[in-house]
Amino acid sequence: MSTKFVYVTYIRTTPQKLWDALTKPEFIKQYWFNMTQECDWKVGASWKMLFSDGRIADGGEVLEIDPPRRLVLRWHNEFRPELKAEGDSRCVYDLEQDGDVMKLTITHSSERDNAKLIEAVSGGWPRILSSLKSLLETGKPMPLSHQAPKT
Amino acid sequence: MSGTKFVYVTYIRTTREKLWEALTKPEFTTRYWAGTSQKSDWKVGSSWGAYTPDGRLWDTGEILAADYPSKLVLTWRNEHFPEMKAEGFTRLTYELEPFEDAIKLTLTHEIEVENSKIIGAVGQGWPAVLASLKSLLETGSPLIATTKWPEGL
Repeated sequence: MSTKFVYVTYIRTTPQKLWDALTKPEFIKQYWFNMTQECDWKVGASWKMLFSDGRIADGGEVLEIDPPRRLVLRWHNEFRPELKAEGDSRCVYDLEQDGDVMKLTITHSSERDNAKLIEAVSGGWPRILSSLKSLLETGKPMPLSHQAPKT
Repeated sequence: MSGTKFVYVTYIRTTREKLWEALTKPEFTTRYWAGTSQKSDWKVGSSWGAYTPDGRLWDTGEILAADYPSKLVLTWRNEHFPEMKAEGFTRLTYELEPFEDAIKLTLTHEIEVENSKIIGAVGQGWPAVLASLKSLLETGSPLIATTKWPEGL
């Protein structure tokens, strides 16, 4: 058994712009709770998500990468003990062109039943991806993206 | 718990009043929801219908709650596909909440049938419809693919 969160959205943009928005720190911090990510985006590379004050929020590793179509990360939480204790989750980004828009599917899963980590990210992903869509379509992220999640 | 449920949350830079209008008025729905129109006076107990662009009744139901501009609940049954119609009425809930400068829209579409075909089908459709609604309200233009009724249906 396992726990899985799936979220699909459609964004009026190009494959390359969406890929850049998902992987480049200068884009990420605009729509992702003012956080950023450090990674050199190669298979086996370590991946980190950082709060604006430099604390590590999440860590992991690139398991698969196929720009601008697919990214798979091993992902564990670092800043909430009850989530950290659950260990690794897996996060898959699938990007597909569909006419003049991009279909983005996020699948974030854990092999544990009722994983608290997946419950926590289930609340975060809709905010992050709504803000990403606004940023790419209007040039402005949503103001709510600048509020870090409560610890 | 038995049954099937689809839940989708999105945040839209708009007001609750505009979002309510966009969810209920044909001049909006025809632009982002596959050209369809909904007819209802949106009062509790009133009937509700969704019509294809060529005027066929596609889904029907009844308004269960209408708490403008924060919550709308209706029953919904597909009238076109016999295997979906046979599942009976689903329940659709829209919740609109102010959140910072945006509105949080939570859509819950559910039925007390395990592995429901109708919920499986609408679960495939909702993300595109709601993504297009967000684009329409934030940019003035919906996503092209959602502006037309699917060919052959």
